[in-house]
Formats: sequence, structure tokens, C-alpha cells
Amino acid sequence: MADEDPGWLVTAAAGGDQAAWHALVERFSGLIWAITRSYRLSRADAADVSQTTWLRLAEHIDKIENADRVGAWLATATRRECLQSIRAKARTVPIEDMTWFDADRDDDPTEAEVLRAESEREEEHRARLLWQAVGRLPTRCRQLIRILMAEPPPRYAEVAAALDLPVGSIGPTRARCLQRLRRELGECI
Amino acid sequence: MSDEPEDDELEHELRQLAARQDPVPPELVQAATEALSWRNIDAELAELVFDSLLNTDEATLVRSSPGRRLVSFQTPELTIDVEVTTTASGRDVMGQITPAQRATVEIRHRAGVVSTDADEQGSFRSAALQTGPMSLRVRPAAGDPRPPIVTDWLSI
Repeated sequence: MADEDPGWLVTAAAGGDQAAWHALVERFSGLIWAITRSYRLSRADAADVSQTTWLRLAEHIDKIENADRVGAWLATATRRECLQSIRAKARTVPIEDMTWFDADRDDDPTEAEVLRAESEREEEHRARLLWQAVGRLPTRCRQLIRILMAEPPPRYAEVAAALDLPVGSIGPTRARCLQRLRRELGECI
Repeated sequence: MSDEPEDDELEHELRQLAARQDPVPPELVQAATEALSWRNIDAELAELVFDSLLNTDEATLVRSSPGRRLVSFQTPELTIDVEVTTTASGRDVMGQITPAQRATVEIRHRAGVVSTDADEQGSFRSAALQTGPMSLRVRPAAGDPRPPIVTDWLSI
């Protein structure tokens, strides 16, 4: 599904097909969110950027030259809106996107729950370390990895458009940044 | 460049982590779904051709200041210059249509649509708009057969 060409969805949505539009939203809202968060926008600013980007697509949808590449079009539009948002504020929001929210815990667990909680705590410990390690990466790596975390997985052309990098550099940079992330993890385990 | 399996595993783990820790807010998906209904099929699109936030050459810096943003939209026939000012109560918008003409200007933004008139000099203004996405819809004066114009969306 994620690898399907979205070109026909664009054509259908341009003809007023609300279901096709919704499918585009399902396919790309994760990517747009990941890009706004990779630029460390607050939730409110990220919501503005996302909504503006979708409104722009709606107005441009019958004029997009290469409908199959609508994901890259959206990624480029999102990047520009993020930069405008940052410049309008002339500041970025400090690492809010990498803070950890503790899951609610029972105050008085049963024995079985204690056993389960123990393995959950280990998982959560690993997750917390991983999340914090991503937050410590150099900017370019942190941005790339946050965008790759989008669901469904973005295409490299979309990641490249989001970061204004050549598409050929995404694969090697990903490998290097994941390596770097492993080193960060290794240092704190 | 072939992907290493352990890289794919780590990426998969990261994706699951993001889905738990920083998921897409549902209201954002809702707003995106509704965006198509704002489309104007009958209108001509005036594209953003200048934004003082993106064009940071010296001439622009002289004309703009913090809290004041200049943008221009263009069709082959006309230009709409807009100045957005940040105030305590939101955003004020002052605009100029060139060539000068009377028109009805509908400012579409988060709180709905605010309608104002451009005078015979093509000037219009509106105050205390909500922050967020904004687009203008310019309808020619009565009797003018030209189609309305909508501008690109802008986050103000």
C-alpha cells in the first residue's frame, strides 16, 4: 500500500473525490508531522504548518506536474513552511520533541503484574535510551532519523525533499546516522 | 547501496517508538481531511512570488522589520501585495491590488471568512485575525466578468 503510486489518488482528488483525498491524507500526514517535528516546531506551530501545507495542496492539486511525486511536493512545501515558521518566531522550541512521557503505572500491582511490569520496564528503559540518543545526534542526523520514523515509511525522494538534500545522499547518510546512533546507545548501556 | 538488515531493524524499532512517543495528533488529520473543501475550482490562483521571511537580501531587510512581513501574490494580470503585522490581538493585514481596482476581498482564515472592500486605489485592510493558515479570495466589482482570484495559503 505504501509503495503504491499516489498519482492516481491525486488525479481522483483533483476531480473532487473525497475518498481519494482522504487516502492521500492517510498516506502523507505522518510524513508531514515527522518533518515538522524534525525541525523542532512546537505542536501548535506544527499544526499550522501541516494545515497550511494541505490547503496549498488542495489549491494546487490540478496543477501538480508530476502527480506520482506528490509526496516530494508535500515534503518540499512542508520544509518551506517550517523555515518560514522558524524565521517568523526567530527562535526554535528547545528539545520539546525529544522529551519522554512516562506511561501511567499502577500504584498497587498484583504479582503477575509485577512480573509483566518488569519486562515492560526493560523495554521501556531501552525505548527511553533510544529516544534520548536520537535527541543527542547532530542536527542533520537527528532530522533525517526523525523523518525516517514516519509511518508509513517515506520514500528517499521525499526525505531528500524534506531536507533539501540530493536523493542519492539519503542512503549513505542513513547508514552513517544509524551507525552513529548505535554508538550513542553503546555509550550509555 | 544495499540496506543492512540490522539498519532496517533499528529503523523499524525507531518507527514504532515514534508512533508511541510522538504520534500524529488526530485533530491534525481531521483538519487535513477538510482542506479539500476550501478549494475554489472556479477561481484563478495567484501564486506566492515574494515573502520577506524567505528573501533576506539587504533591500528586503530595510523594508521589513520584526513583527512585519511582506508577501506578494501574482497572476498574469495583477499583483496583490500584503503586509502582515503582529499585534497583541493577532494579525493585522493591509493589502494593495495592482493595477488599482475596486474588489471584494475575502480573508479566509482559521476563524472563518472576513470580508472587506478594496477601494478605488485597490487598498484594503483588516485587523485582529487569528494566527494560522490564511488565503485571500478577491472578487471583482459587480459587473466585472472576470473570475475571482484566490491566493496561495500562507501561515500567518
